[in-house]
Amino acid sequence: MIRGNKLQICLAASAGGHTSELLKLVESWKGHDTFCITTTNVVTEELHKYGKVYVVGECNRQHPLKVIVVLMRCLKTVLRERPNVVISTGAALGCMACFIGKLIGAKVAWIDSITNVERLSLSGKMVRFIADLFLVQWPGLAERYTNVEYMGAVI
Amino acid sequence: MIFLTVGTQFPFDRLVQAVDNIFEEALLGEEIFAQIGASLYKPRNFECVSCLDKRLFERWVQKASAIISHAGMGTITMALDNEKPILVMPRLRRYAEVVNDHQVAIARKFEEFGHVLAAYSTEQLPQKIMQLTTFVPKKRQSQAQLVVQRITKFLNELNVPGK
Repeated sequence: MIRGNKLQICLAASAGGHTSELLKLVESWKGHDTFCITTTNVVTEELHKYGKVYVVGECNRQHPLKVIVVLMRCLKTVLRERPNVVISTGAALGCMACFIGKLIGAKVAWIDSITNVERLSLSGKMVRFIADLFLVQWPGLAERYTNVEYMGAVI
Repeated sequence: MIFLTVGTQFPFDRLVQAVDNIFEEALLGEEIFAQIGASLYKPRNFECVSCLDKRLFERWVQKASAIISHAGMGTITMALDNEKPILVMPRLRRYAEVVNDHQVAIARKFEEFGHVLAAYSTEQLPQKIMQLTTFVPKKRQSQAQLVVQRITKFLNELNVPGK
């Protein structure tokens, strides 16, 4: 639901570099309502400027059980907040937030991390199929993949 | 003071231990403070914590004369933002330090641009640490504004009343 001119935006990024990249983009969602999903509480304080922060825990593909736990927490959060848009800089957590968001009708904007120099991240490869905006940070990637745009690097 | 950090998600004993050994051999004229994350190796020659809040972390970066780190983008970004010389050693997949070798790719790129010094093995560390004292990182021209504009445009297009 779009209230007035405001969108409800979900900002999803793992702690560390993904969050640093997300924080370079804060000007983009000015004037909209936002909430954040991240992996650990080391970035909670910093992200708190951009609405409520949900910490869902670390996960990666080496630990399938953790992936399920994080997925369930993500699902609960997204269903509760019902965003119109999900913006993510990665990684696995961002991928989950994008897919869950898409299922409830949200638009998806993905910014693949600058660390993916020659090929897209695994998460990015999956999100590319559902993304409404997909940005990469190296020009070569935009040539290599379709439906991918290069505007510049955020770092 | 040199700030050593390896992020928080996975251990990176190879780097923590190597820096500890180098310090013991008195190659470093400075004190070290470290954030060792999930590393199991406990350094004998300097103080360390497992994890710092991002803001507190940034204060250590600001206090430090130089940074030694895994090639994680969070730390590299913070070093560049604060114009601190940084030496990175990428985590490697073959040692199960990370799920893929993206840190090698980013270390190579940022080394090529002159933003960071990079060591690709513990053997290269001592020499690179010596260079760190005189290394002046090249400033990075961020293109974040262009990305911001693109996302703003995307959001504006969604925001048409009645859509």
